[in-house]
Amino acid sequence: MIDLMSKRKFFFIFSAVLILIGLAFFLINGGFNWDIQFEGGTIIKIEMKDDNYDAAAAEAAIENLLGKGVTVQKETTFNPDDQDNKLALMSIKVSKENTLDNDEINQVIDYLETSPDFFVNTETQPQIQSVAPFIGVELRNKALMAAGWAMLLIVIYVGIRFRVMSGISAALFGIVALIHDALIMLSVYTVFNIPVNEVFVAAILTIIGYSMNDTIVIYDRIRENSSVMSKSDIEKMVNTSTWQSLPRTINTLLTTLLTIVTLYIFASIYNVDSIKQFAFPLIIGLTSGSYSSIFIATPLWMMWRKYSIKKKLLEAKS
Amino acid sequence: MAKPRRIDYSSVQKKEPKLKPGAKLWIKFTIAVILVAFFSVMILVGSPGLGVSKVSDIKTGIDIRGGVSATLYPDVDDVDSVTDEQLQTIQEILENRIEAKGTFDYNMSPDYENKRLLLEIPYASGDDTNPQKVIDDLGEMALLTFQRWDEEKYAFDSSGRIVFLVEEADLKDDNIVLDGTDVADSVAMLNKQDNSYMVALTLTETGAEKFAKATAELVRKPIAIYLDDELKSYPVVSSVISGGEASITGNFTIEEAVELANYIKYGALPFAMTAQEINSITPILGESALNVTLRAALVAFILVVLFMIIRYRLPGLIASIALVGLVASEIFWISAFNASITLPGIAGIILTIGMGVDANVIIYERIKEELGRGIELGEAIDIGFKRAFSAIFDANVTTLISGGALYIVGSGPIKGFALTLIIGVIMSFFTAIIVVKYLLKAIASIKIFGKTWLYGTKGVAR
Repeated sequence: MIDLMSKRKFFFIFSAVLILIGLAFFLINGGFNWDIQFEGGTIIKIEMKDDNYDAAAAEAAIENLLGKGVTVQKETTFNPDDQDNKLALMSIKVSKENTLDNDEINQVIDYLETSPDFFVNTETQPQIQSVAPFIGVELRNKALMAAGWAMLLIVIYVGIRFRVMSGISAALFGIVALIHDALIMLSVYTVFNIPVNEVFVAAILTIIGYSMNDTIVIYDRIRENSSVMSKSDIEKMVNTSTWQSLPRTINTLLTTLLTIVTLYIFASIYNVDSIKQFAFPLIIGLTSGSYSSIFIATPLWMMWRKYSIKKKLLEAKS
Repeated sequence: MAKPRRIDYSSVQKKEPKLKPGAKLWIKFTIAVILVAFFSVMILVGSPGLGVSKVSDIKTGIDIRGGVSATLYPDVDDVDSVTDEQLQTIQEILENRIEAKGTFDYNMSPDYENKRLLLEIPYASGDDTNPQKVIDDLGEMALLTFQRWDEEKYAFDSSGRIVFLVEEADLKDDNIVLDGTDVADSVAMLNKQDNSYMVALTLTETGAEKFAKATAELVRKPIAIYLDDELKSYPVVSSVISGGEASITGNFTIEEAVELANYIKYGALPFAMTAQEINSITPILGESALNVTLRAALVAFILVVLFMIIRYRLPGLIASIALVGLVASEIFWISAFNASITLPGIAGIILTIGMGVDANVIIYERIKEELGRGIELGEAIDIGFKRAFSAIFDANVTTLISGGALYIVGSGPIKGFALTLIIGVIMSFFTAIIVVKYLLKAIASIKIFGKTWLYGTKGVAR
């Protein structure tokens, strides 16, 4: 049985390096890449008959129509009816300062549909996402609040249920692991410059539940073993408990990853962006969640426990 | 240590008509089988009595069907001053307006916490109405006012037509003689004189009185009709109108006249509502995403079943049967709660396929451990379930807490995800401690299924 606890420094450094890389990219990029859902702005995607259209001309025409700056790009997407032919889309993006209202959105669509220069496929509905900037900020704050509340409630619950392990401290180190997972996920998002949106928050909240779940199973083993094993060698007890929980941690991680990776692969093959956006952060978070339970929360709790026992002994002596 | 207690227990039980412990096992086994079968059959055939529709009939969210969702916010400076009653009234008025536009398949729900209305209009195939256009002008106040102008601001030209002496916007000085609440009914009509359309108004009793008084003062003068700040028409009063009938003329097309009549009829909003968040999803993309996600779900399910059987053998097979029940019960509850299936919702189901076997993994690892210590199978199963209980329970509560937080703050599709996650956690808990336990204990009691290799261990004490 390898003594995982004695190698803890290596794991702490490994996580710290990952998070530091994320921080470096955060500083280079000048913050997170917020999705328009969390920042405001408008995206309109219109299906075109083919991709032989002049994006620059469309951009100029729409700017002229609205008196607002827009960006027009060509895009393609998976065609469910004909797998060999992709659908051509015109993507019109408007920054948060110029967020379009419903009237303006309709103006753009009406213009493109009637213009002789652009051939819009009028049989389908355009895809539109438009969020006023103040709403975006509100959504973002609410999402962060939700994550905060969830963590607080979990601390209270774990604190009550794990009194034997001096609950609150156990819960707090569990939360350290959660914050670690959230930071790892944010780092990956910053490094790859993926927009942060509601789906990402949903993924973070899922991971908060999952990671704590993982930590609790190990804690549960420590709770059980602390009544049967000698308390003198706490490091050995924690190490044994971790090893006893390891098959479960790995197997559950594997079954969960099996499902989410399958989803991700399918979404990648068929280019379903919304699902890819959902599966990717979950894959990162699940892995990080299992890792942090074993290599962050448990050793941290053990260090704290050793320290407090030592302190008590010193106090008793003097 | 658990054994003596069990003997005590059964000795108490023996006063009752005798049931062999074996028979009890099989009764429980049957209950477990019925539970799995019930949920599976339910989602395959549906039951109108229970308010559950079969899986193919469950309504899908607009992220799959396609459509428009918009969040309407009150257009006021102090959002906190908006009351729940106001929001309710506005919702009723807006629903009337939507239906007046010929759209009946929509969903509007108030969010009292955040003082806003959420509107979803699915795209209907073969229907020409563009949901996007339904949102247009939907939240306008539609405050109808009849106003008089300052006589120094206009004059009549030689042919008797009115000419403005100031800018049109400066004409209005909110000298209101009548407003929308004085109107009992409004309808679009053909004006036979010039073949244009007009809106005919029937006034209430007090409205008729006010109007008679106002027209008496305004004979041969214009009366201006405003909808919000927009000047709709300014007919010249020819004589006192006392019958409570009035009309708005202004060379309207039939569509314009119908729309104006509807706005007046269905009331004015206390303040305007504006769509600050608009999402429109094309049905074609949603449909293909659904197919891809369902295929992924099937493959994921098969992979997890294979993993469980290879890793845990006989108990793995039992967990897989329970997993069928878990997925079926999840779809059952979504349907029973009348929730829509959304793409994140299906992702949530896929996630619970993976996470749902966790309780089994915890229990089975425990059973293997006990078997490894040389403990007899039946007892190892008992200990496994007992020892694993606290871990499973505590772990599920934390997932519920984060799922609950997500449900409260999430918007439409994300709420769907949170809901499936919550249902999945609760149901996986019950399938593990009821279905799996009863099935496993009964089957393990059969001699040929009692071999320890079927449980993935050699049964040798370490």
